[in-house]
Amino acid sequence: MANGILWLIALPLAVSPLNYLVGRLSFIRRGVTRTGSPARWLAILALLVTWIPFYQAVQMLQTSGPFTYTFGAIALRVDGLSLVLSAVALALGTLVMIFSGPYLAGEEGEEKYYALLTAMVGAMIGLASANDLFNLWVWFETMAISSYMLVAFYRQQPSSLEAGFKYLVQSSAGSVLVLLGLALVFAQTGSLGFAEIRAAATGRSEVLLAAGALFLIGFGVKIALVPLHTWLPDAHSQAPSGISAMLSGVVIETGLVALLKALAPLAGVTPQWGPLLLGFAAINMLIGNLMALRQTQVKRMLAYSSLSHIGYMLVGFGVALTFNQSDAAQGALFHLINHGLMKGLAFLAAGVLLYTLHVGRGHHHPLTVSDLAGAAHKYPIAALGFSIAVLGLGGLPPLAGFMSKWQIFAAGFKTGDPLVIGLVVFAALNSVLSLGYYAPLVNALYRQKPSLAVQEGLAAPAALNLPLVILSLAVIALGFWPGLISWLTGPGASAILSMFVR
Amino acid sequence: MAAILILLTIGLPWLGAVLVWLARDSRPRLQNILAVGFSVAAGLAALALIPSTSSGTAIHLAAGGIFGDFTFVPDGLGVFLAVVATVIGSLAVIFSIDYMKGEAQLGRYYALVLAFIGAMAGLVLTGSLFLVFIFWEITALCSYALISFHNDDPKAVAGGIKALIITQLGGIGLLAGALLVYAHLGTYEISVLLEKAHLIPAGMLAWMAFGFLAAAAAKSAQFPFQTWLPDAMEAPTPVSALIHAATMVNAGVYLLARFYPAFEGVPGWKTAVIAVGAITALMAAVMALVSTDLKRVLAYSTVSQLGYMVYAIGAGGVFASQFHLLSHSIFKALLFLGAGAVIHAVGTRDMRQMGGVGKQMPRVRTVFVIGALALAGIPVLNGFWSKELVLETGLTHGPWLAYLVMLVGAGLTALYTFRCVWMVFYGEPRSHLHGHDAQTAMQIALVPLALGTLVSWLLAGPFAQLLAGSLPFHELEAHSTLEVLAEVITAPATYLALAVVALGLAAWIWRERLSGLASALQGLGKWAADSFGFESINRTVVSSTQRLAEWLRGSQTGYLGWNVAGILAGLIIILAILAWGA
Repeated sequence: MANGILWLIALPLAVSPLNYLVGRLSFIRRGVTRTGSPARWLAILALLVTWIPFYQAVQMLQTSGPFTYTFGAIALRVDGLSLVLSAVALALGTLVMIFSGPYLAGEEGEEKYYALLTAMVGAMIGLASANDLFNLWVWFETMAISSYMLVAFYRQQPSSLEAGFKYLVQSSAGSVLVLLGLALVFAQTGSLGFAEIRAAATGRSEVLLAAGALFLIGFGVKIALVPLHTWLPDAHSQAPSGISAMLSGVVIETGLVALLKALAPLAGVTPQWGPLLLGFAAINMLIGNLMALRQTQVKRMLAYSSLSHIGYMLVGFGVALTFNQSDAAQGALFHLINHGLMKGLAFLAAGVLLYTLHVGRGHHHPLTVSDLAGAAHKYPIAALGFSIAVLGLGGLPPLAGFMSKWQIFAAGFKTGDPLVIGLVVFAALNSVLSLGYYAPLVNALYRQKPSLAVQEGLAAPAALNLPLVILSLAVIALGFWPGLISWLTGPGASAILSMFVR
Repeated sequence: MAAILILLTIGLPWLGAVLVWLARDSRPRLQNILAVGFSVAAGLAALALIPSTSSGTAIHLAAGGIFGDFTFVPDGLGVFLAVVATVIGSLAVIFSIDYMKGEAQLGRYYALVLAFIGAMAGLVLTGSLFLVFIFWEITALCSYALISFHNDDPKAVAGGIKALIITQLGGIGLLAGALLVYAHLGTYEISVLLEKAHLIPAGMLAWMAFGFLAAAAAKSAQFPFQTWLPDAMEAPTPVSALIHAATMVNAGVYLLARFYPAFEGVPGWKTAVIAVGAITALMAAVMALVSTDLKRVLAYSTVSQLGYMVYAIGAGGVFASQFHLLSHSIFKALLFLGAGAVIHAVGTRDMRQMGGVGKQMPRVRTVFVIGALALAGIPVLNGFWSKELVLETGLTHGPWLAYLVMLVGAGLTALYTFRCVWMVFYGEPRSHLHGHDAQTAMQIALVPLALGTLVSWLLAGPFAQLLAGSLPFHELEAHSTLEVLAEVITAPATYLALAVVALGLAAWIWRERLSGLASALQGLGKWAADSFGFESINRTVVSSTQRLAEWLRGSQTGYLGWNVAGILAGLIIILAILAWGA
């Protein structure tokens, strides 16, 4: 049973090269076809099968608590936190894979896409169970490298290449900082294992403080903490829509989990990590919302809104770290999951519209708010899914985003700390502000008079709509009954708290 | 039994909403039938709930942890407001059959109206503050979506978003209050809060009390949040009648009434409530006097009458406020639906283009005049009794200055009501508008409301018993109808108020002679038309936020060098903080 976890990581990673091979052979024999590459079926199958070891891992965690699997000299540790991240990566990965079939059919380089995406999912699951800094860094880089190429997928488009290049440079700058931090930790403690570092890092040490700062900024680039966020709007809007959903719904969150894992062994060095996260939370929420407010490109707007949602998660994690609050950690993880679902839904729904209005008709214009006008008549599922997503992101009940925000807010109030309560009220104000750009999107979709783009748009293929329906139902179900997900967030929260025990 | 009825009252409209949506817009007949069927069934379920009124919890679901328990309590206040929501809701739906005939996207319209009805019933029946907040927000969501139902009209979109953002802004007060309750008592149960409010530190309780007041003021369009309601009049008229006159705007008054026992001891709270009510009542009455848009006049008048209810609660008259709420829901829904019939027939909301409509629409004129007389406070209609009760409570328990303000408001109410009726129905036609009298479905909706306006005051006694019997923390006395009526008739305040109402009427009759005074007050009129400066405050806030956002866009330079510099700057700042801070 214990090697089930190995399959959880190995399956996507092993299928990835095979996937490329199948796709390449088909390309050599038949060239680019309208029906799409057979590689995608293999990729979908691989990710569907990966749910079996995931289920086993959940079973094991529930019966015997967190467990470690050693593979040669490498230890993989599965706890609640790794399952949360694996679940989001796997769920979004599967749905995006289904979505990408019709979206990319006939595009040049299609076969590489599926291989890279499976590898990225595998890397994220691997990162989730890394048990030392070195493995954490390797998984992190694996994920980053596969995502660079996916962002620059439309390599004939200058804007896409520009976005990919910016992302590459800034993300590499972040990776260098992480590597420096790693070196400092190794120099100071002589080890990279989390447990060993924790044992060595008791009490103040300037070197370890600097290492923590390097981790915070290095991973912070991927998390898109303000002011390290400048790559994000380009990358998220220029990538194929499925990749936008992955980047926004789980890649930046993976950065967040990596940061938590890297900072946790340094918890004994200073109590400042929590407050620092709270500081970034406030900046991210405000700047993200203000930057989104005047956007006319839908995908850029959604990208900026990710900044503010990272802010909400940071409120939760920051409170959890500062006050040792399990509810806050649970709320933050709940919001991480919900954000994955809602932002995934938003980007995929925007993707349906982008595909039917522009990309599918052979031109790469950005999707603007005015393009959305009247889309609800022709694309009822995409319009409804998009509305559910943005209203959920805006924190309106009975949708999932409301519940997780409430959990974070309630945990903040429970601390009784006036500053934290002030921050929570600030977060609530930001939610209201965010409605200032979410609500007009919904209004535009349900206009009577269709835009020119909608009038000329293609019909939406069913396989594009299927992931939208699944995600919409999930967002509504979690909004009505938040307890549905506590089997995942509960162990996740206790994992975080035990990681940060001083 | 009560549990099933509560589930039906909330669940039937929601089920109906899904079914109407699934029925698709190509079958409007089926949509009409489904919408009417489910809303009427919900109304019947709510009425059937009246005998099972009690203060006990009827439904209890443990959601666990930080979400508390999901509870529903069929007490008098909740059942009463659920009945108002579902019964007036079903009348508004019936009215919509004619009013919305031929409109596109009918499914979305009915689905949202039904979802609203269910949420409103949930809001008043739940016993958990967490659910109160959820339903509170759902009603705001439906209200926003229905105001901007005609999404092609930029005014409708702007009105909807304005309503959403202002009510949400106030809603933060409710959010913070509910979370403070949870942080201090470990539960969201309303009954626990009412029982143990004294255990909460006084400072915290004050924060809660004023937070709730802010939320209530935003929802009920009270000072200083009143600006959203007039702009909400872009909604289809049945929606204005249902949401912005009879139900949702009452949620704020409900909130204050519900939590009055917990907050009455907070220093300054009752005075603040009285001040909010009195200022709003007077301001809105003046605005109603200068407006020429039929629906806006009714909107301002709604704001003003809600001010009376808020004022009554501040003076400790929970029963008086709820009694006025009952009367107002009926006659204001009647007025709005009547106005809807007129607007539907003549095709404009501008009263300056109307005049003499009464000849073409005698039936509508009859019911509208009944509603108008009730609004003006003319005996023996329901508005008279309840308004007098409010004023009397104010005189005996509130400051005299506020009472004076309310008295002036009553006179102004009479004045603007007569002006409105005159401009629409009487006099010479001022343009070539052709009206036709109300169609069948419209009449079916109007007649019960007109009858209600005539006789609902007879229910004062049973209503008092309903409230007193199931609200253990409110210390209400159960009077019989006769006692309530006798109290009103014997009070000298009643005659004073009637005299002021007569003055208002006289002012309208001799308006020609008072024209000098009117022109002297023109500046005031202009100021009132801009909502006494609050509109410009709104505009300033919105435009400065947008300018800030626009200015911030400059930070996204697109130069890679600056981007990497941002990363390094972040690192230096963090290092500095850690070096100094730790």
